[in-house]
Amino acid sequence: MTKPLLSIKNLTIDYIGETADFRAVDDVSFDVAHGEVFGLAGESGCGKSTIAFAISRLHKPPALIRNGQILLEGRDVLGLDPRELRSFRWREVAMVFQSAMNSLNPVLRVEAQFYDVLRTHQGMNRSQARERTAEMLRLVDIPPDRMRDYPHQFSGGMRQRIVIAICLALNPKIVVMDEPTTALDVVVQREILQRINELRKTFGFSVLFITHDLGLMVQFCDRIGIMLAGKLVEQNSAGNIYTKPQHDYTRKLWASFPSLHGARLMEVAAS
Amino acid sequence: MGPLVRSLIRNRKAVVGLIIIALIVLIALAAPLLTEYNPASRVGRPHQPPSADHWLGTTRIGQDVFSRLIHGARTSLAVGFGAGLLITVLGTALGIIAGYRGGKTDEVISFFTNMVLVVPNLPLLLVLAAFIGQASPLVIAIILGFTSWAWGARVTRAETLSVKHKDFIKSAEMMGEPRWRIMTFEIFPNLISIVGINFIGSVIFAIITEATLEFLGLGDPKTVSWGMMLYNAQKASALSVGAWWDILTPCFALAILGIGLSLLNFAVDEIANPRLRTGNRLSRWTALIRSGEGRL
Amino acid sequence: MVFLLRRLGFYLAAFIAAATINFFLPRLMPGDPIEIMFSSAGAELSIENLAALKLTFGFVDGPLWQQYLTYLQSIFTGDLGRSIKYFPLPVTSVLGHALIWTVGLMGTATIVSFTLGTFLGILAAWRRGSIFDVVVSVGAIFATSVPAVVTSLIVLFFFGFTLGWFPTGYAADPALDPSFSLTYIGSLLYHGILPMLTLCTVLTGGFAVTMRNNMINLLGEDYIVMARAKGLSDSRVMLWYAARNALLPTVSSLAIAIGTVLGGSLVTEVVYNYPGLGNILYQAILARDYPVIQGQLLIMTVAMLVANFIVDVSYVLLDPRLRGA
Repeated sequence: MTKPLLSIKNLTIDYIGETADFRAVDDVSFDVAHGEVFGLAGESGCGKSTIAFAISRLHKPPALIRNGQILLEGRDVLGLDPRELRSFRWREVAMVFQSAMNSLNPVLRVEAQFYDVLRTHQGMNRSQARERTAEMLRLVDIPPDRMRDYPHQFSGGMRQRIVIAICLALNPKIVVMDEPTTALDVVVQREILQRINELRKTFGFSVLFITHDLGLMVQFCDRIGIMLAGKLVEQNSAGNIYTKPQHDYTRKLWASFPSLHGARLMEVAAS
Repeated sequence: MGPLVRSLIRNRKAVVGLIIIALIVLIALAAPLLTEYNPASRVGRPHQPPSADHWLGTTRIGQDVFSRLIHGARTSLAVGFGAGLLITVLGTALGIIAGYRGGKTDEVISFFTNMVLVVPNLPLLLVLAAFIGQASPLVIAIILGFTSWAWGARVTRAETLSVKHKDFIKSAEMMGEPRWRIMTFEIFPNLISIVGINFIGSVIFAIITEATLEFLGLGDPKTVSWGMMLYNAQKASALSVGAWWDILTPCFALAILGIGLSLLNFAVDEIANPRLRTGNRLSRWTALIRSGEGRL
Repeated sequence: MVFLLRRLGFYLAAFIAAATINFFLPRLMPGDPIEIMFSSAGAELSIENLAALKLTFGFVDGPLWQQYLTYLQSIFTGDLGRSIKYFPLPVTSVLGHALIWTVGLMGTATIVSFTLGTFLGILAAWRRGSIFDVVVSVGAIFATSVPAVVTSLIVLFFFGFTLGWFPTGYAADPALDPSFSLTYIGSLLYHGILPMLTLCTVLTGGFAVTMRNNMINLLGEDYIVMARAKGLSDSRVMLWYAARNALLPTVSSLAIAIGTVLGGSLVTEVVYNYPGLGNILYQAILARDYPVIQGQLLIMTVAMLVANFIVDVSYVLLDPRLRGA
């Protein structure tokens, strides 16, 4: 096997309390290969978002990384100094956050939210940035002339596509998607995932996909990790997670799905 | 009430605030035992500096400043808590009614609330007090109560709107509970922290405003209060003639009482809004980072 | 636009409400309202002058509504009557002259303390739990809970009397004639330092706490986390993502704070013998000069409404979501 793109080793994260601590992530290890879509599934509060935050080192007190390593192409992310960290963020790891409605700054034009990334990381001037912004917006089917608009002038699905466009503006190596579609309705959800898949094939980035929706995940991911109470209890290919779940908890998760959904998934897995 | 009291006791700001207020209340209650001088009568020579006989000196007309201070505390506290209570009751009632009833009732109450908020408070009070003539502390407390409820009403209304759609209110409505019962027993207990902040804030406001009105010459000269002490000292040009004790005594008294109440207010705010809390968690976190037990 | 027009309509209603209070107050007091309003003039008021004053304040023979309309008419034509203490000066010119000083003092103090307080609040929230945050928060508690009267007197005592660094009264050296000379302007600034210091002490803490709390409430928002994930510099995230959004609720709370600013300014002027509205008002209260006392309520209300309107407009300018609507 070739060297993985992202490698998480024995990651342990606590939330510090007034007297006792809460262990959100407990000794988790997994790899994501180049171009792979890796899924992390589990109930809310199981620690999957905490891992996502740790990859870009976005945590604030009271979160505390107790132990472990995060390596991106062999580079130790937890050892980066503030300057290195700033240039690492977005250029290497981009992120799509849970709420489509709230990921864009409501008081800045869309254009400005592209521009600050492009200027910070690539030193572009306004007109270069505008060109790149137009290019990125076209990729996600947003008319480029709307870059002068404010976020509230777009629908939820459009906003999420804008976020994805911002994510890809620097050609990152991996995009972390933390429940990217939960706030959207089912049709828009599918549309967006398909779009991400196409883009992934074009640009070749990896995806760390986080959701509580195991059904959605099986359709979309190459490999899947199942999390329970901070621990990674099972890790396998998407097909195996669906057809041959090993851990009790994975079986329970499947049992909680309505059978109609399950039947359709069966076809997907078979194909 | 249990958890609220426990969080108050654990909060350093709250404890300091409560101690300050308790001390002032005790001193005010025990005033006649602590001094033999009548606060209103002439008991010494004018403008004597602090001495063994007169701990905080005497005023321009020879009254004992210490005696006036501790007797005046009674007035400040009574006006503060009395007017504060009135302001809070009116604001809370109007806010809950507007928020819960909605519709026309809400429109009318909100319109008046917003109107009262844009008519400047102190100038309005000055006009009212000027026509009343020499306003006693009781009168001041009453006009404060009836003119200053708007902020509380606005905040309570906003909070009521967010509680109104919760399930327990819906179920109480289904069970046919009368509206007044829902407002008093279902909604009000959920607003207790906002009501607490409103109350303490109103007490501070009332104490400050009473002192201000009296300082501006609208008080009753017979009153023994911190505001009248300021007024008399200023009229006697206490600062220019070097009688600093005459004017600084009520100044520091007002400042300390204000600080005590504010500390309590900030503490209640922190307890009601967990995001504002810093406290022990953060210091534990910092200690862990420093000792190398983890990083971010 | 519709939003601003509706606000203007509301302000008109608020102004009429203040006028209505003025109209009814003397009539609600026990005793003869005319006697109450003008008795402090004694015998100095001639019959014609008294008649003119009575007309201005709506004391005409006729039903109450006619009296009310007469009073509203005089107010809307800019006639607030004549001062009794400074007779025959009209109330508008007595107050108008003082208003310039008050607006100058208050306006400068508001701008300085709002800017300073907002920046302190931003930094305190950003370095949450640091020594800086603790100092700002505790300092703000102290500064906001002490009445303006007390702050002015203490500042005056230490810097004016004990240390003798600054003058203890007046807006400028009374020996100088007002002019655009360097000496006069220097004297103005020198005399203005203590009142400004007082007002800024009273106001800055409140703005700092408001901004700090608004910031902290926003820091968990997704767009702030995304801004950090984008690798933007700390100052960019702090100012353009966090502070820029936290400014919106802060500006709207400024509208309510203006009342406090006004109150603080009045008191400070009395303590420093500053020739603004506060001082005129203080003299008017001592002389029971009711036309001036009533006039100040109207003028203060107008000042408050203008300030509120400025806040409304800047709110619309700051929030793109309100602009198109």
